[in-house]
Amino acid sequence: MTELRLERTLPADPQTVFDFVTQTKNLLKWWGPEGMHLPEHDIDFTKKGPWFSVMANAEGSRFKVSGEVVAVDAPKSVEFTWGWHDENDARGHESRVRFEVAEAGDGASTFTLVHSGLADEESATNHNQGWTSSLRKLERLAG
Amino acid sequence: MTELHTTFAALGDATRFAIVERLLKEGETSAGALHDGLPISAPALSRHLKVLRKAGIVEQRVSAQNRLYSVRPQAVETISAWTMSHREFWQKSLDRLEEALLREIRRK
Repeated sequence: MTELRLERTLPADPQTVFDFVTQTKNLLKWWGPEGMHLPEHDIDFTKKGPWFSVMANAEGSRFKVSGEVVAVDAPKSVEFTWGWHDENDARGHESRVRFEVAEAGDGASTFTLVHSGLADEESATNHNQGWTSSLRKLERLAG
Repeated sequence: MTELHTTFAALGDATRFAIVERLLKEGETSAGALHDGLPISAPALSRHLKVLRKAGIVEQRVSAQNRLYSVRPQAVETISAWTMSHREFWQKSLDRLEEALLREIRRK
């Protein structure tokens, strides 16, 4: 099991940042890498309960992830479970994501993202490491 | 539309993988030049290229007397999305979060 931890200083007060990382209308502004859109979603991290999002790229490849919001402590933290679905909609390994927002002074906030319980070395949708490294090689060549 | 399983099936063959690798390294390449670097017959190469074209990974262009092959950018995009790590997913998302917050602040 591995844990991923990312920290960013964001130029807004904790309440604004918390709203941006929990409310549906704000999540839709940044959820997923550039070039992905969300044809289907039910993401509201302001309250406990199930959530899901389907991300799609321009080519029509779809990536679904779902989970359940298990803890909300506004405007400080929110925690939810996370599991990718495969092409047959079967949900894979479950991991856990925690957002933390803290005052950083001068109207800024520190945003910490902890993704824990990751199954292997970081593969998002493909759990076959052999494939991943081969494809990554192609990707690097393309970049 | 590039179907993931078609992309994977096509790349699951070592020769085809090597062809795609070379096209990515060298850019658009003629069938003749591709054949020079591969230990297979011309008809075999042609069959592999056909599979790669059908899978939407490679495209063909005819220029003068040459057939030129290259990797379709969309195929790379599909592969890239498939191999994205959680770290990349979140980092790219957080870049967008930061931009969205900056836009929000300027509006105020």
